Amino acid sequence: MGLLAIGTPLDWPEAKKVASHVRSWGIEQLLAIWRRAKGKERDALLWGDEVEYLVVCYDDEDRVVRLSLRQADILAALASDEKLLHQGGGVPDVQRGTLREGETAPVFHPEFGRFMLEATPGKPWGIGFKDLLDVEPNMKWRRAIAKDHMASTEYPITLTTFPRLGTKDCTTPQYPVSGEKLRSQFVPDEIANPHIRFPTLAANIRSRRGRKVEINVPVFKDENTPWPFKDPTVNYDLHHWPEDDDVRNGAAKQNHVYMDAMAFGMGSCCLQITFQAKNIAEGRKMYDQLSPLGPILLALTAATPIYKGFLVDTDVRWNQISRAVDDRTPEELGEKPLQHDRWRLPKSRYASNSTYISQDPRLRKEYLDPNLVIDEDIKKRLLDGGMDDLLATHFAHLFIRDPIVVFAEDLKELDLDKADHFENLQSTNWQHMRFKPPPIGSDIGWRVEFRPMEIQITDYENAAFSVFIVLITRAILSFDLNFYIPITRVSENMEIAHIRDAVSSQKFYFRKDPFPSRSIKSTSTSGLSSPVASRPPTPLGPVEDEYELMTINEVINGQTDSEGGFPGLIPLVENYLNSMNVDVETRCELARYLDLIRKRADGRLWTAAKWIRNFVHNHPGYKKDSAVDESITYDLVKAAETITRNEGRDGLGEEMLGKRV
Amino acid sequence: MKLVLSTSNIMSGGPSVIRHPTVEKSNTELTSSLRANFTAHQRSPSSENSIPNGTPTRLNPKPFRSWTSQHESTLYIPAIDFSSSGLSEERSQYDITVKLFYLPNIPSSRRCLQNREAIDLVLRELHVSSIDLLIVSFPSISFDADDEDSDSDDVVPRAANEASSESKSGVEDIDTMIQTWRTLEKLHDEGIIDRLGVAEFGTQRLAKFLPQTHVRPSVDQINVRDCCVVPKPLILYAKQEGIELLTHNDCTNVLPRGTLRELLGPGEKGAGILACPDGLSPQDGLQGDVEPQWVVKYTAVIKDRGVVESKGYFAVAELREGLC
Repeated sequence: MGLLAIGTPLDWPEAKKVASHVRSWGIEQLLAIWRRAKGKERDALLWGDEVEYLVVCYDDEDRVVRLSLRQADILAALASDEKLLHQGGGVPDVQRGTLREGETAPVFHPEFGRFMLEATPGKPWGIGFKDLLDVEPNMKWRRAIAKDHMASTEYPITLTTFPRLGTKDCTTPQYPVSGEKLRSQFVPDEIANPHIRFPTLAANIRSRRGRKVEINVPVFKDENTPWPFKDPTVNYDLHHWPEDDDVRNGAAKQNHVYMDAMAFGMGSCCLQITFQAKNIAEGRKMYDQLSPLGPILLALTAATPIYKGFLVDTDVRWNQISRAVDDRTPEELGEKPLQHDRWRLPKSRYASNSTYISQDPRLRKEYLDPNLVIDEDIKKRLLDGGMDDLLATHFAHLFIRDPIVVFAEDLKELDLDKADHFENLQSTNWQHMRFKPPPIGSDIGWRVEFRPMEIQITDYENAAFSVFIVLITRAILSFDLNFYIPITRVSENMEIAHIRDAVSSQKFYFRKDPFPSRSIKSTSTSGLSSPVASRPPTPLGPVEDEYELMTINEVINGQTDSEGGFPGLIPLVENYLNSMNVDVETRCELARYLDLIRKRADGRLWTAAKWIRNFVHNHPGYKKDSAVDESITYDLVKAAETITRNEGRDGLGEEMLGKRV
Repeated sequence: MKLVLSTSNIMSGGPSVIRHPTVEKSNTELTSSLRANFTAHQRSPSSENSIPNGTPTRLNPKPFRSWTSQHESTLYIPAIDFSSSGLSEERSQYDITVKLFYLPNIPSSRRCLQNREAIDLVLRELHVSSIDLLIVSFPSISFDADDEDSDSDDVVPRAANEASSESKSGVEDIDTMIQTWRTLEKLHDEGIIDRLGVAEFGTQRLAKFLPQTHVRPSVDQINVRDCCVVPKPLILYAKQEGIELLTHNDCTNVLPRGTLRELLGPGEKGAGILACPDGLSPQDGLQGDVEPQWVVKYTAVIKDRGVVESKGYFAVAELREGLC
């Protein structure tokens, strides 16, 4: 999350007044970028991963672990480390060294949570197989550097969420709750990055919504869980802010853990991968083809079974983030008849994708969302500007939202050599894929970001999943694979992925036959850059016959029982690797990664969510009442740190990682 | 008669490309993609008499003469139109790897000609004038990690009696391999092949082989099943000699005679090119015995994107008439 220029942010009622203004300037900027870059060709595959950390601080004497709010100090230390700068690393928002020919040190970024840190490679990866092997050591290097710039009691941990975020005494230093910006009864305003953009984002989402954000996660019902469960941490007697009425108006649902601030969502860590495509057409294709894989990878990386000190009945972070930034008004939500607002909005601005955008002849109309909300005026402007219908629809859909953070200084003059207004909308649409136009004034090409995965406890796992996704994109492009299913089914899959142990217990909609139909004249073009359809014009059957419900194991490892069943993503990747010149050492390393994913999918290895649940259940302090207290949390975070260091070699975490040699 | 079998680009070929991990027959890719290409050509309505909206009937595949082509004494199965193939970007964008499989029981004296033929087909298919890497696979040779380990201290070439023990197992001796290598070095000198490679060579074989080469192999390809047990001595030796150890997933005997016969035969899975072996059914199939000569696999990868754009096989067989 990059920082925009400092300026004077408008409070919500003011920002709302200029929303159309920002949108229309954003669209003009988009058109300018699109015109300039639509013919950009032959960009190499470059890609990058983003790893996010929670900075925890141990109090070993009292056996308590808290979140450290020293993000700014840590970043300042990183930005002024001469050695790191000399190696090309640093903090791009403040200061970083120059890119180097050889190895370049990683760079660090602030995140929404003041207890978070993000780290990326110092320069993007290529497809050279040696690069793929560098990912894991680089991730370890990042963590080591981060740790080196922290206090001895602090550690950068890669759990998706801090198990006791929002309980009393969960941060250091400690601040009073109920601040002006968040108005949360659980977390202080100081939980967020103090850069003006972040508190404004949180405050304006709350203002636009007309109440605090509302996150209710079903609690996991254990033997001794009081039932019906009423979240015992909710205070119904606060009277500082008008929003304190929320809970008295039923915001906290029975049998759920209730949370009330953006930090509960945006304070989650995830693993994101961004790819550069060779041109806009390939970028659009990757966007579409990776989209149906999103929910599968979300379920496979599940790591979020605890919120605010309680075991919950879901395994992933996604919907909590979605609700934590849900700025929809009661009218948009359909709770009140439409009077002032323009439309009903079925999804939060953080949600699964709603569009397909590739000009691929295999994209059938039936795959599109028939109820997609778009801004018709914006679509018309984009069409008039020369953009094709599919892409215009995509952006006219993203632009149904209001800009949340608007700086007064940026409204004076429209600068078509900038992308600030476009990015304002684009980067506050948090869908599980993001299609990114080339930034102005750089040689970077069209990019696609894959966003659904949860962060894993070890760098080994994070590298494995990153490399796996890269290899899948190469298999998609090489075999011209087709994973299209109706986009609304992808959204349904996203919900399914939340179910406890979905990886082993649930089935997901997935396309049965991913292969292009064989056409004997397609030899010359291989379908990569040619607009010629590789599908012969045979009549198509009903869309419903193209997909079925599959287990994650079937999607990843293939339907081996039936002849001609889905081949599986790993066999596809292996077949791709068999067609490439891969050296022995690399193949061996890649085999380790693929083996981890294979076994996660078939249930031989556990997800982090399952492992964490198991850890809590077996903790002597656990009373089978769903509550995860301070001492369990301390031991859990310590265990996670040990696993990060030892990667299961000492037996801890073996159920997740397998036997390591 | 010479038979030239081809798969065309199998990357867009669908299911035939992908093997299930449970099916461990690695020659499946070749045979199933050949079969798929034959079937596609048998069923495709020709442009002149296409049936509107009609699905070509499964029951009456077209006679083979209509979808193959014969030039002098060479039958192309299916007919190849080299003008429709080629690569989509400039030559410099690609890494083109070719692997030539010499087949068992075919005299090594034919290889000089076979090399030319095989490379020529690939160059014409891809519309290029050179390839980056040619790997040759000698018949019946297979990498044995355990053998390597047991005498790992001894990397010096040993007495010639080792060669004789090998010849029993069908592996030819180093001298024969070197004779073949000379013909490849010539193609290298002509600028048609940039780099040469071998497959399944252990340390000892490499140590015997290397001193006799003018153009050294820059690649030694090892089966992927063994890639995690490659003995340390080989890794060290390869590093020392500047040889890349790469992985593959090919069968050494990639096209056995029986498989080819079934592929071309009259049966349900056959292409209907050969007549019944018993000669009883008076169809228009060719009479005679087929003998696979060599197989070549080519792969064109867009270097900086890691995308396999084109991959396919040619296989050549001799049909000897009247031997049936």
